[in-house]
Amino acid sequence: MDRGQTLPVKNRLRVLRAERDWSQADLADKLDVSRQTVNAIETGRYDPSLPLAFRIARLFGQKIEEIFEE
Amino acid sequence: MSQEKRRIWKSGSVIWGTVWLFSYFGVRAAVESPDSFSRPALIAIVLTPVIPAALFLYFFITDIRQMDELQRRIQLEALAFAYPLTLLLVMTLGLLQLVMDLNPADWSYRHVWQFVIVFYLFGIWIAARRYQ
Repeated sequence: MDRGQTLPVKNRLRVLRAERDWSQADLADKLDVSRQTVNAIETGRYDPSLPLAFRIARLFGQKIEEIFEE
Repeated sequence: MSQEKRRIWKSGSVIWGTVWLFSYFGVRAAVESPDSFSRPALIAIVLTPVIPAALFLYFFITDIRQMDELQRRIQLEALAFAYPLTLLLVMTLGLLQLVMDLNPADWSYRHVWQFVIVFYLFGIWIAARRYQ
């Protein structure tokens, strides 16, 4: 079983991005990842690594647990 | 920006991969008219795809190092799909050869390598779909 399927992680990435009026491409550029990666995280198909989750939290000025939750 | 840099390495791997592929067909054309070349020249010609292949490998590995974590996972899943399938194909052909005559015009090494590319691209397609 895939770990991502057994322990899905919800996140507020789409909401936070929309609040700032950023496109997925804008966010991908700021995080230095591909747009596909941003989309996969937003739709819950991919859980980011801890370093990427920290980068996301830092970018939005929030704690990781305020963006991601089990 | 590493995503920007990635485009350079990706273009390099596409260019050298294409050169490698065309060099193979060029070599085959040369080898299939062997009277035009001496034996040492033919051996040298047959080895020429090694140069674009080495350059492709360099650009491809560097490209993978520039990828983000999801893109690397997709590559890993594609290779995990293609590698055992390639083993299975070669193993099955080897076993079949023991029990029946396989036509070398259809099933020699110079045909089997093409399946590796198909398996890899199919693996990329399956893995990429999972994360769309």
